[in-house]
Amino acid sequence: MSGHYWEEIEIGSKQVLGQYTFTEEEIVRFARAYDPQPFHIDPQAASRSFYGGIIASGWHTVAVWMRLAVASHIGAARDGPRAGVSPGFEDLRWLKPVRPGMTLTYSTQVTEKVALKSRPQFGLVKSRNEARAPDGTLMMSFIGKGFVERRTTGGAA
Amino acid sequence: MDTPRYFEDFRVGQKFAFGAYEVTKEEIIAFAREFDPQPHHLDEDAAKNSLLGGLAASGWQVCAIAMRLATDHIFNQAQARGGAGVEDCRWLKPVRPGDMLRLEVEVLATRPHPRRPLGFVTMRWDVFNQREQVASIVNTPIFARRSAA
Repeated sequence: MSGHYWEEIEIGSKQVLGQYTFTEEEIVRFARAYDPQPFHIDPQAASRSFYGGIIASGWHTVAVWMRLAVASHIGAARDGPRAGVSPGFEDLRWLKPVRPGMTLTYSTQVTEKVALKSRPQFGLVKSRNEARAPDGTLMMSFIGKGFVERRTTGGAA
Repeated sequence: MDTPRYFEDFRVGQKFAFGAYEVTKEEIIAFAREFDPQPHHLDEDAAKNSLLGGLAASGWQVCAIAMRLATDHIFNQAQARGGAGVEDCRWLKPVRPGDMLRLEVEVLATRPHPRRPLGFVTMRWDVFNQREQVASIVNTPIFARRSAA
């Protein structure tokens, strides 16, 4: 959506952000830093665990969404409307374990636009974001929120 | 208070407080290069013109650091079985280079899994730096039930 002011963003518009293949090396590297539980960092312990093998940290699977969103020019650019700052997110669901070698397809769809009294230069954009396995199984989803600069300050959508 | 190990050890209203995680400029930029390469997470000058008013960590990195603190102080002492998800996350204030993050945790709800020997524990993680609260993360990790151990 980069280059789009808040007024120009269309509710319902959907974008495939790209695919990402999780390697064991990357899963372990992320988890050693931020989520060092045995089923994320230790292949032997993981094979004896509830999950039967290494799985990616849920925070890793959602961080990859952000990486692909930025690569798809959602968020801030050096020129154009200011965007890419978020007040948070809702309803993040880790539905299925993500294992080494899996390739996920990430997407985003605009679901709602909210004018902001507190920040008349900006509007809020809400999106439904997903990661799916090759067979279409939904692996991860969440509702994202982002501030996007308005072409004209204030007023309704 | 003893550290909880199983689902049954968690009680609504329980509180835990811990952590001291220093967020360096190098770590902010390294995380952003890999996962959130927007100018306000990478470049001091570009960040000044953004809504954040200066270089700040990706919100996803703030969540990841909160996870690290929770892992070290709760999950790796307990029979943790992953997470169901995050009901609500609010990034309240920017996290800057040099900030020292800590976590206050409150248990909001507990619910046994309907079929499996597991239970869901909904908790709120309030993340603070040395000045103020910077994030609030309501999430639901899963723990083994003692009765099935």
